[in-house]
Amino acid sequence: MTLTENLFENLRMELRRGCLTLAVLAQLKQEHYGYTLRKALAERGMEIDESTLYPLLRRLEAQGLLTSEWREEEKRNKRFYRLSSDGELIFARLLDEWNAINTSITNLL
Amino acid sequence: MELLDRYLQAVKKHLPWERQDDIIAELRANLEAQLEDKEAEFDRPLTKEEAEDWLKQLGSPLQVAARYQRQQYLIGPAIFPTYSYILKLVLAWATAIYVIASVITIAAQGLGVEALVGISLVHVALRLPWIWLINAAIVTMIFAAVERTGARFPEKLRAFGPMAGPMIGPMTPPWSSMDLPPVGAADGDWAKSRSFTRALLGVFFGCLFLAWLLLVPHYPFLIFGPGAWHLKALPYKFAPVWSTVYWCVVCVNVFDLAWKIMNLARGAWQRPPNRALSLAMHALSLIPLGILLDAPEHKLFLLKNPADAATLGGALAAANKGTLQVLAIVVAIVVLQLGWGIVRVSLDAYRKRVAAR
Repeated sequence: MTLTENLFENLRMELRRGCLTLAVLAQLKQEHYGYTLRKALAERGMEIDESTLYPLLRRLEAQGLLTSEWREEEKRNKRFYRLSSDGELIFARLLDEWNAINTSITNLL
Repeated sequence: MELLDRYLQAVKKHLPWERQDDIIAELRANLEAQLEDKEAEFDRPLTKEEAEDWLKQLGSPLQVAARYQRQQYLIGPAIFPTYSYILKLVLAWATAIYVIASVITIAAQGLGVEALVGISLVHVALRLPWIWLINAAIVTMIFAAVERTGARFPEKLRAFGPMAGPMIGPMTPPWSSMDLPPVGAADGDWAKSRSFTRALLGVFFGCLFLAWLLLVPHYPFLIFGPGAWHLKALPYKFAPVWSTVYWCVVCVNVFDLAWKIMNLARGAWQRPPNRALSLAMHALSLIPLGILLDAPEHKLFLLKNPADAATLGGALAAANKGTLQVLAIVVAIVVLQLGWGIVRVSLDAYRKRVAAR
């Protein structure tokens, strides 16, 4: 990987990091477990590695933005996540922020 | 699937023990669901090669487990600037103390100036990296502990105020725009205001240094290290003039510390350092050096047993002579620095006068 590509990759990762959180919070207005969440995000164009998504869910839960529960589905125990009430508030504020940034960038371009 | 079991077992090994089972159960459920989807897509079980490729795509077990770790770094960006500052400070002090202690030890052994440029100096230089390494390790361990504590109990670090600020939120010390120092580009570093953290750390390390200084007479190993026991066995002792010098140094440090505390108490810590005071402190440091140079009969070290004069008198004289020569060089350097400081202050004052006309 050349220096420019490496720099681009680092900047891309930085740009994506915050967006991933927003995407996950948006998708978890409906209940999902890890794998179906990943599939749902991928279907909407937001591909996330397993090794990024699953720990991210844990972190968001630890921060109080998500709630989770173990439940059996298709003869297998799965951990289902959804937005907590705090998560809903934070998500709404983040969405406003995202829209404001988006508008600013569009105006700048 | 045996390969998946082996993979999860390898991941589990690197996970935090208190959450291992929970994380592995969740990961297993997700990966098994993914595997089922893949097999449904191919309409057959995965071959060994396909399964290996799939697990390879997930990442090495160590990488996967690392993402679940709460602590991703030893010292985070929030406290790194403070860490870097303290590390530099500690390394500078450790070097200065070690060099001074080594010179005194060499001199006390009666080897004189010649030895300083010979084997002893090489020995001292070779040990210096170890001194740096040990001190850096201690500082790093302390900051790593602060980082971990901050990550686990952020509320406990509120007491650290600005130091913990970035780690626990946008906490900044109260300030008023009236406290801002005047703009003075020509003043360079002198016009720069100091941060509260820096002022607080100045007081903290001042206290620490003073405590260390006061403990040195009772615990000589604090300055000489393991050499203290070696010194005890030597037939030489320090002349009484060192006691006068010691208390002189203590007084200078008490004065300096009191000044820093006063500045902190009256909220003057943001003002740039006072140049005149700095020069005065510089001049004060000449007093202990002068006392040593003016030691009675130019004797800085004495024999514990005067009866040994016949055998050890020559070495003692060489040690006294060598130390006095080193001191003379140090005094010359300090005087030159002081002179340069006075010239700079005078030049700046002159420039300001000219600019004001």
